[in-house]
Amino acid sequence: MNKFAKGAIATGVGVILLVGGGGTLATWNQTNTASMGSVVAGNLNLSSAAGVWTNAAGTVVNVASYKVVPGDVLTYKQTLTVTLTGDLMTAKLSVDGATAANGFDTNATVATTFATPDKPGTPVVPGTAVTTDTVLLPTTTPQVINATTTFTFKKSTTAQVATNASVNLNAIGYRLDQQAPVNSNNL
Amino acid sequence: MKSTRTLKAAGLVLIAVVLGMLTVQGSYALWNTSTGANLGTVQAASFQVDLADAVTGQHTNMTTANGTAATLALTTMPAGVIIPGDSTSATYAGVQVTNLSDAGGDFTIRATTSAPVVRTGSSLAGSLVIKVVTATTLAQCSQADTFKNAVPNAPAAVDISKGATGAFCFQITLDASMPANLSGQTAQIAIPITVNQL
Repeated sequence: MNKFAKGAIATGVGVILLVGGGGTLATWNQTNTASMGSVVAGNLNLSSAAGVWTNAAGTVVNVASYKVVPGDVLTYKQTLTVTLTGDLMTAKLSVDGATAANGFDTNATVATTFATPDKPGTPVVPGTAVTTDTVLLPTTTPQVINATTTFTFKKSTTAQVATNASVNLNAIGYRLDQQAPVNSNNL
Repeated sequence: MKSTRTLKAAGLVLIAVVLGMLTVQGSYALWNTSTGANLGTVQAASFQVDLADAVTGQHTNMTTANGTAATLALTTMPAGVIIPGDSTSATYAGVQVTNLSDAGGDFTIRATTSAPVVRTGSSLAGSLVIKVVTATTLAQCSQADTFKNAVPNAPAAVDISKGATGAFCFQITLDASMPANLSGQTAQIAIPITVNQL
């Protein structure tokens, strides 16, 4: 074997060895910005204004000092402000902590209802009832819902039943629950 | 070799994913919020009616502390004997009824008397002429004119608003037909009073 052949073979082997020794290869690549923008969360909020008690005559009363008798109907009215934002936001309103008129046994009832405000005009258009099945939708500005709680001391109460009785209604509140969007995830 | 190690790594990752999915099971929570209504406490009124003797001023609540009906013994005026058939020979009594309820709104009561019951001296029952009328003041109870239109043993009723008073006056005379052998006897007469919320 001549010298050239030996050198070529040695080089070829060296080259082969280099190639077989691994190392990274660089191929074409390119990057680009996705520009996805920002994801903003919606909102769910509920607040209540101070309420007012009135008796059946429509007189404003201070429940801390007003004593009821059979036949009395006390009504508590307050406005709720509901804030709902979000493209798939829906919610339902309910009463929380509702209680029977415990100290009065079955001689009195307590009930709470919701309605949208009356629309002023001639004649005034009464508001629409909002029940626990009513689906509230998002609005651009907070929406007002009127809450009315009625305490009724039954006129059928006899003898001296429930005289000096009392019932604490402070556990009663309002709850706003988001409803699950269609195709919502389970995470 | 390399391919064997690669397969092993892939297998491990797969298991981890499965485990992760299993442990995430359960309920999910959506947004919710609540607010209080601040309703306060509702209290019932009392049902207190006071009785007061026209002569002595002695008071009693119509209902005792244990919930039973009270009894008020009335003092008659003038003291002394009653002569049968003598319209000027009568004895009188009176009771003031006061509506003491602490109700927040209107609370008017109606006090009504029932038929008199002779508890002792029952032999006199047939001879007693008992008249009950309502009056605006207790001073009217000792005046004969107060009873001139009253029907014996007929009930009387008065409506009393919250914080106000009413009065029942009683006149007792003896019928002229009373047997002489009943002379000198005494009688205790009970007149029930019932009060109802209007």
